[in-house]
Amino acid sequence: MGTAKAALEWHGSTLLRRVTGIVGRVVGGPVIVVRAPGQELPALAPAVEVVEDAREGRGPLQGLAAGLRAVGDRAAGAYVSSTDVPLLHPAFVRRIVGALGQDEDVVLPEIGGHPQPLAAAYRTRLLGVVEELIASDRLRPAFVFERCRVLRLSETALLTDPMLARLDPGLSSVENLNNPDDYRQARALEPPEVNVERFGTLAPESGPRRTVVAACTLGAAAAAVGLTLDEHVVAALNGDQIIRDPELPLAAGDSVAFLAADAGG
Amino acid sequence: MAKAFPGGYFGRALIVDLDTAATEVKPLPESVLRSFIGGAGLGAWLMHELCPPGIDPLEPPAPLMFVFSPLVGTPLTTSAKFAVVAKSPLTGRLTDALASSHFAIAGKLTGHDAIVLRGRCADRSVAVIDGDSVTLTPADDLWGLPAADAERRLRERMGPAWRVAAIGPAGERQVRYATISHDGRHAGRGGLGAVLGSKLCKAVVVRASRKVAPADPGAVLAAAKELRGRSFGPATAKYRELGTMANLLAFNAISTLPTRNFSAARFDEAPALGDEEVSTLRQVARNSCASCSIGCEHIYRGSGGKNTRMEYENVFALGPLCGVSDPDAVIAASGRCDELGIDTISAGGTIAWAMESAEAGLIDAPWLRFGDGDALIRAIEEIGTREGLGELLAEGSRRASRAVGQGSEAFAAHVKGLELPGYEPRTLQAMALGLAVNARGADHNRSGAYEVDLAGGHDRLTGGAPQVAGAIETEDRAAIMDSLILCKFLRGVFEDPFAEWAALLRTVTGWDVDAAELARTARRIVIAKRLFNLREGWTREEDWLPERFLTQSLELDSGRAAALTPDRLTGMVNAYYRGRGLEPTGVPEPGTLRELDLENMSQFDRGSTAIREN
Repeated sequence: MGTAKAALEWHGSTLLRRVTGIVGRVVGGPVIVVRAPGQELPALAPAVEVVEDAREGRGPLQGLAAGLRAVGDRAAGAYVSSTDVPLLHPAFVRRIVGALGQDEDVVLPEIGGHPQPLAAAYRTRLLGVVEELIASDRLRPAFVFERCRVLRLSETALLTDPMLARLDPGLSSVENLNNPDDYRQARALEPPEVNVERFGTLAPESGPRRTVVAACTLGAAAAAVGLTLDEHVVAALNGDQIIRDPELPLAAGDSVAFLAADAGG
Repeated sequence: MAKAFPGGYFGRALIVDLDTAATEVKPLPESVLRSFIGGAGLGAWLMHELCPPGIDPLEPPAPLMFVFSPLVGTPLTTSAKFAVVAKSPLTGRLTDALASSHFAIAGKLTGHDAIVLRGRCADRSVAVIDGDSVTLTPADDLWGLPAADAERRLRERMGPAWRVAAIGPAGERQVRYATISHDGRHAGRGGLGAVLGSKLCKAVVVRASRKVAPADPGAVLAAAKELRGRSFGPATAKYRELGTMANLLAFNAISTLPTRNFSAARFDEAPALGDEEVSTLRQVARNSCASCSIGCEHIYRGSGGKNTRMEYENVFALGPLCGVSDPDAVIAASGRCDELGIDTISAGGTIAWAMESAEAGLIDAPWLRFGDGDALIRAIEEIGTREGLGELLAEGSRRASRAVGQGSEAFAAHVKGLELPGYEPRTLQAMALGLAVNARGADHNRSGAYEVDLAGGHDRLTGGAPQVAGAIETEDRAAIMDSLILCKFLRGVFEDPFAEWAALLRTVTGWDVDAAELARTARRIVIAKRLFNLREGWTREEDWLPERFLTQSLELDSGRAAALTPDRLTGMVNAYYRGRGLEPTGVPEPGTLRELDLENMSQFDRGSTAIREN
């Protein structure tokens, strides 16, 4: 690629900023980035935590161990993602995390017959198993799955979730970028379409207050309707959190409500 | 030679005995004024001084106070406000309702920082206050009239210099959430109109006869000019251009619009009541209160041709909360509340409870159903006249639900007896705390904690430490704004509020007050109100929300559930107590009382309060 995948630009953001933002929108706890020792990272949201691999070049299990260790005292489960998935959708993350019940240690999607260990959910209690495997140089994720209870979800099983079926029917969430061609094709894609509605004094004097715009971030959505997220303007994403961060990634089907920041009586 | 009194004050309260029209003047020491400022703060101090402990608020000895402030009469925008203060017949706790009108200026310029009414008129009367003298005139011809009509007749009779605060038929009948009205504005919450009605007093009439100068008139004028300029900026645009009605659709979009007695937080028919529909088709005028440059009043015309001032709280309470989507019905209902003199929030809250109870078969009112605009108006009419079901509903949702029983208490949406305003606590969890712990009850003016929820930065569905800190901070800010008094719609123009408010107070009074002193004053006022409630029998159980909010979750469009558990609310209340310097029982720690110079107000039994176990 010529550039670390984490720093690759995608519609005005970086892949790492986007993926951490999408995951952060769904999970209830902290978001951890595991980097190689000394690796430079692009700018991240302030709440994102960064930890380092103990050793470089030991593959995904080393990163998995670092991540589980960082989050283990704060969460029972963790969604694990690679950084090169620009089309990762919150509905996919929610589907995987939601399937992690008390009887499973791992929820593992299998798409096109291929397991997706870097788009899966893990119980943090697996840290000991992962560390044992690393110590014995058994560095493939498959070795983890041999030693725990794994819920494997096929495409059909994944798409029983109506929200995921509606918002990411092709399961593009797991499409990663393995070479420059993949990246070029990803960049050629249009930004996702999101629904925007403006309220109160932010509504246009004439014309509809609702519209559909193509925007990868909250800031881009605001700009598309002539707004700037400043001290007088906030946004609500899908009727949920109130947000001011223009870098917040958006995904297809999102609804953004722009409100006056002094909402209230 | 007597020491000159600080600017902006007369240093005296007029106490009127309505039995005899006798008056006495109570001196207000400068130390008291500096400690409590005016408005709601000074009102709390006066209530400790003048309200007999344990009194029934509707009995003659219970005082009703009109409390002014040092800023009243200055050219500072939005400062023509006053507080009406009493023990609430709805909650049994302290209530203070603010209003803006020329009554504030004329009332203060009678030569008093407060006017206190006690006793009961022998016959239906009007209390005419001119300087230190009081005359009681017959009110038989005014009895039964809406407050606005009584006000108009009195001013026609007495002259335009006289200003009037009056009650409507609901106050006469002591509906427990009756209002006091003037210039079309209302001191709305807590039943102050019932207190005036219990004194057989239809109206209080005042005129200006004295003058009071600020300490530094030139500086006040300059500050007023500068503040007026800021009041035209973007921080007040919403109020100026659309009014608070703009909240309706925005709140609906974020699942914060209480609907069908808080059984939902989104109202599918909200667009029919939104600013787009109502403003475009029905708005006929925009007005300002006295001395205000914002101009938030938006007047709408209903299908009957009557003009009515509409705000978010009217529309939420009489619209979505009752499931009513017909804008003509909501405008008519709001107008009828104004004519009868009823608080629209408590009316809507009580009627919504009754609609749910009727649909569940708990009360015999088959005509009363969610969504029925005619039923809504009939219920308001019966409340105002205490006829039919109105006799029960005039008591408010807490008393009514206790009378009906059968589990209906669980969905009576009140705190301390005061019905909730239009902020869903499950999706605004800083506000949930603000509603629970406020001295006045469920209230959006004494606690602006929703600002924390709506500002972003914290998860509004997960109340915790940031929400507690925000609830305390907004409560403190409200305590000062309500005592100075400045309109809350101005709050967004202050970048460093306590410092800027201290500067305004310095120019008016001449005191060397600073931001730190004002922050301490805020805490003192909040605790003084709590101490009054403690004296009147408050227990920790009252700092709580109704069961519905703690047992039923709401589903958001995002897929998340908004749930407020008893454990979470307990944790926030406990943290609030710690932040306020209160014991786990909610009683102020001795050190807090010492720090705030409130030890002489601690007339309560420290051992009588209970600790909630969850």
